[in-house]
Amino acid sequence: MFTPIAWNNLFYVAAAALIATALVVALFSFGIRFFVNAENAKAKASKGNASALRAEAANRAVSYVLFALGFGAVIYGILLIIPGVIPAIK
Amino acid sequence: MDPLVIVGLVVGLALFFDFTNGFHDTANAMATPIATGALKPRTAVLIASVMNLVGALLSTAVATMISVGMINDASALKPEVVFAGLTGAILWNLTTWFLGLPSSSSHALFGGLIGAVVAATGFGAVNFDSILQKIIYPALFAPVVAGLAAWLATRLAYAITARSSDDDLATGRGRFRFGQIFSSSLVALAHGTNDAQKTMGVITLVLVAGGLQADGSHVQLWVVLAAALAIALGTFSGGWRIIRTMGKGLSEVKPAQGLAAEVATAATILASSKLGFALSTTQVASGSIIGSGLGRKGGKVRWNKAGQVVLGWVLTLPAAAIVGAISTAIVLTGSTGIIVDAIITVGVIIAIFQISRRNAVTHKHVSSELEDASEVVETKKQRKAAVKAAAKSSKGGKGKK
Repeated sequence: MFTPIAWNNLFYVAAAALIATALVVALFSFGIRFFVNAENAKAKASKGNASALRAEAANRAVSYVLFALGFGAVIYGILLIIPGVIPAIK
Repeated sequence: MDPLVIVGLVVGLALFFDFTNGFHDTANAMATPIATGALKPRTAVLIASVMNLVGALLSTAVATMISVGMINDASALKPEVVFAGLTGAILWNLTTWFLGLPSSSSHALFGGLIGAVVAATGFGAVNFDSILQKIIYPALFAPVVAGLAAWLATRLAYAITARSSDDDLATGRGRFRFGQIFSSSLVALAHGTNDAQKTMGVITLVLVAGGLQADGSHVQLWVVLAAALAIALGTFSGGWRIIRTMGKGLSEVKPAQGLAAEVATAATILASSKLGFALSTTQVASGSIIGSGLGRKGGKVRWNKAGQVVLGWVLTLPAAAIVGAISTAIVLTGSTGIIVDAIITVGVIIAIFQISRRNAVTHKHVSSELEDASEVVETKKQRKAAVKAAAKSSKGGKGKK
């Protein structure tokens, strides 16, 4: 007779993997989008367009924040590997 | 035979298994960044090697748990039996490496040990319930979850970076390569933490069985260092055959897909590790690559190759178990048996390496074969230009006729 599957644990793994992956990739993708926006605005800003200058700064700032958040998620992953830093899930 | 000699043989074999584990699994972390051009092949394996070394030194939490749950009677794991089990794992690992199949080194190790224990003491010594719960179910489940996560993440990445205007040259998708450097390093780190510890566990087990270490004591420092170095050296030697399969054989991977696949692999491994599933990083990484291949519009998965890979997964546990069992039958005949088994194993290892040299795959082959895949995702303009060029050439061809 087969041992019943521990559905709760498997569901936890599936949910955590799906959410974490989607979150990190979405953060990085938005970061790239804002970064490209900033690069596009840079060309106009160099011609002295004030609103383009503001747009460039804002987009660049947002992209850096998003990259930092994505990087933070990766650091969290590393901390998960080191035992004792983040308590195990019971 | 002197028990010290047997223990020495097993330690040497365990470290060699660790080495094969390293070069067999380099692809898990580094196949996609090499395929997308995020990292040069030699740089990639160097980073993977350092990350594996660091990962192996980070923790020894699971090192002493190698047999817990899997074997009912731990005393069945005598040094001779572990020796036989390791030969099964090594020979299967080298066979799949030669065939370029990304099979699981962990499953090869478990299979070899299970086969050896069954041959030595019978089926009663093995806890099949635990094997189902901790190895088989996760093996069926994890690649699917990783594939789903990678598929979803790839869709998201392409949707978020898509440009509605005609002039969509600046999607910036090539920049996903920078993210890949971090995500692939994370996968390599997780691999070092998981897989090197299995070797540490085997060596500790044998040291305890040989009376050289007290039962329940910590993993010795030299064991940690030796296992860390062995897996790092193995990783640095690069399993180019498997990197080729995972980098291009399963699907053509673009930078956004590469990032999605690696993040999915890391997330699945880390979530599973927290619950004590003995996951195969290879199976998870392969599942992620297939998922990311399906996630991109126009992306193709080579199902023929994927089928071969899955067949390799299915066969790993029983094949390593059969070799482990045969090896046990030889080993249990006495000292001569151990020597004969060692000679046969070394002979087969040399034969596999010799045959592999006839069609050697190096980092140079890998980089040239993966060159096409390193191009950034085709833009609308590029597609239009390609269609125009194709139409022009076909008109020219008709005109000539």
